[in-house]
Amino acid sequence: MTERTLEVVTGPDTLAELQSTLDSVWATDHVSDYTRMCIDLAVSEIGTNIIEHSGNGQPMNLRMVVTLLPDSISVVLTDDGRPVAVDLSQTAMPGEWSDRGRGLAIAHRVLDELSYSRNDGGNRWMLMRRRSEESHGDG
Amino acid sequence: MVDFSTRTTGSDVTVIKPEGRLNMAGASTLRKQLQGIVDGGSSRIVVDLSTTEFIDSSGLGALISGLKMARQVGGDLRIAATPQQVTTVLELTNLNRVLPSYATPDTAFDD
Repeated sequence: MTERTLEVVTGPDTLAELQSTLDSVWATDHVSDYTRMCIDLAVSEIGTNIIEHSGNGQPMNLRMVVTLLPDSISVVLTDDGRPVAVDLSQTAMPGEWSDRGRGLAIAHRVLDELSYSRNDGGNRWMLMRRRSEESHGDG
Repeated sequence: MVDFSTRTTGSDVTVIKPEGRLNMAGASTLRKQLQGIVDGGSSRIVVDLSTTEFIDSSGLGALISGLKMARQVGGDLRIAATPQQVTTVLELTNLNRVLPSYATPDTAFDD
C-alpha cells in the first residue's frame, strides 16, 4: 500500500500541487496509463469544484490523502470551506453546446465511486477507482 | 499566466497553441485570447493542441466558448494535433462530434 498526504492553503498553485502529489504516487508502482488519466482528471475536476465553490475564490485549508492499493485507488479531499450544494444523483453530461457544468459528470464517469459529505465545519469528497481492468506488468 | 502563442497563416486562419495544462488557469487564458481573436476580426481559428499535456472540463468549456463565438460571426473553430489524453476526454464528453480533430493546424481549414 502507498499513501501520500498533501496539506495546503488553496491558491493559484493548488491544482499543480494536487497533481504533483498524484505524480509522486504514480512513481511508486505500476499503474496503467488509463487509470492514471482517470484519477488525474477526476482530481482536477473535484479540485476545481472545491476551489470555485467551497472556497469561493478565497484561501482555505485543503487536505488530500491518496491511497494506492493493489485493487483500487482512492483519493479523499477535505476542506474547511463553506458547504456546497451538490446532488451527485444529477450528474448527466450537459449538451454539447454548454460551456460549463461538465466537471462532476466527467468525474462520475471516470470513477467507480464518488461521494460528498458535509461534516463539522468541512466538506469531504471521496473518489475511488478500481484497478480491475489492469493486468499486471501491462498497459 | 503568460499568453499562448498565436500566428496567422496565409489563408487567413489564426492558430493558437496552448502549452501545458488546460485546467482552470490555462482555460481562463485561452478563453480570453479566443475572445480577443474574434473581437479583432478573425473568425477562422485553429487550436493547435500538440503541446497541450492535459485538458479537463475547464479547458473544454474554453474550446466550446470559442467555437460558439467564431460561429456567431460566420467562422469556425477547429482543433488539430490532438494528443491521446485530449482525445479521450473529448470522447468521454461526446464533444468529438462538435470538435472533430484535424491532423495538423495548417490543413484544418483545407476543405
